[in-house]
Amino acid sequence: MSDPRFPIVTSQGNQPEAPKGTGEQSNLAPVLLTRRDEAIGFFERALSGTLGWARKNSIFQYPFVTACCGMEYMSAMCGRYDIARFGAEFPRFTPRQADLLMIVGTINIKQSPVLKTVYDQMCEPKWVMAFGVCASSGGFYDNYATVQGADRIIPVDVYVPGCPPRPEQVLDGLRILQEKIQSQRHSAATVEMSDDVRKRGLFSKLSSR
Amino acid sequence: MSKALIELVRERFPGAVTSSSSDRGDDSVVVKRESLLEILTFLKNDEATQMKLLADIVALDMLTYQSEMTGGGSLASQEVTSYSLSKKPQGEPRYRILYNLYSVTLKHRLHVRVEVRSDDAKVPSAVGIWKAADWLERLAWDMMGVEFTGHPNLKRILLYPEFVGHPLRKDYPVQKRQPLVAELDFPDLVRGPGPGPGGAGVPMSQTHVGRTNVDPTTYD
Repeated sequence: MSDPRFPIVTSQGNQPEAPKGTGEQSNLAPVLLTRRDEAIGFFERALSGTLGWARKNSIFQYPFVTACCGMEYMSAMCGRYDIARFGAEFPRFTPRQADLLMIVGTINIKQSPVLKTVYDQMCEPKWVMAFGVCASSGGFYDNYATVQGADRIIPVDVYVPGCPPRPEQVLDGLRILQEKIQSQRHSAATVEMSDDVRKRGLFSKLSSR
Repeated sequence: MSKALIELVRERFPGAVTSSSSDRGDDSVVVKRESLLEILTFLKNDEATQMKLLADIVALDMLTYQSEMTGGGSLASQEVTSYSLSKKPQGEPRYRILYNLYSVTLKHRLHVRVEVRSDDAKVPSAVGIWKAADWLERLAWDMMGVEFTGHPNLKRILLYPEFVGHPLRKDYPVQKRQPLVAELDFPDLVRGPGPGPGGAGVPMSQTHVGRTNVDPTTYD
């Protein structure tokens, strides 16, 4: 960091302004970036944005349909509401090819090992949507047989309430999930470590400029 | 018409019918357990009855009611508010098993009822008379814990074999759950810990029933 060849620069964009008139220094430490860090940051943003854009617009779903919410799922899939407009075109009926696990309906305790297996079989990156109030919280099935929400077994990204939810709610949940996918950050360290980038000497060129 | 059915059973099996009722065409007889199979066989095979269809077997838990053996349609005289076996007078039958019989040819229906006590919740199996009784009795065993002696394959039909207890009994806790997968341990702000898994100071991850040995034949 103290190498004189790499002068320390302060990022200008996103720093909150210090409170005026107090005369005290802000508690927030200034973010110090080298040009190398900036370059990495640039690549992080470029990579994350591109990956997020590509992923959010081609969500392959696995419909884990167990109950009456499946009717609304079919409606959301078909012509009038047409979830394909948002890139979620293909239902894949094997979890190994799917990005998004849609838990559509009540999960009872006897089914829970099956759901866990299906989730474990999906490849990363993977997301989960709890479709309907039963998958979100158990709904009104507060009894001996029902899992009180799929998030007690597997992590859930988006909850779509409703009994059953309207297709518009499903589309809204999908848009929220798309925003979440778009905002995910991928570390450029993995890029830096990859052989391809290292052979080209991309980072060394940029940082020594 | 159906009153004749009750009279027929009474005449044919004197002493076996403890009570009977006929209300708006809905006829039922309460019979003793010892003569249940005889009566059912008679009702199926006799020319005057021809009850070829066993429509349903219903098991009732009368724990919260003080039942009466008087019959005559009186279901419950006084409700017991708390789930306590001590409130139930000793010797009163807790479970009612009801056979819903129908004759497709003669188009008449009769309910045959047996009452058993909780310390002796056993009923002879009717699988030898109707094959339909197989799954119906397994369901009654699964949910209510009434044992059908002589059943060829009496095991759970809906719930998983790791389940302990019988959930539709009135003294089974409403929110008691027996998960198969270890549940994620997280604070649940909306639903609360509750008396189920995760409640009573027990972490959710420790309350699951381990599935160590899955035998596929237990699910047929």
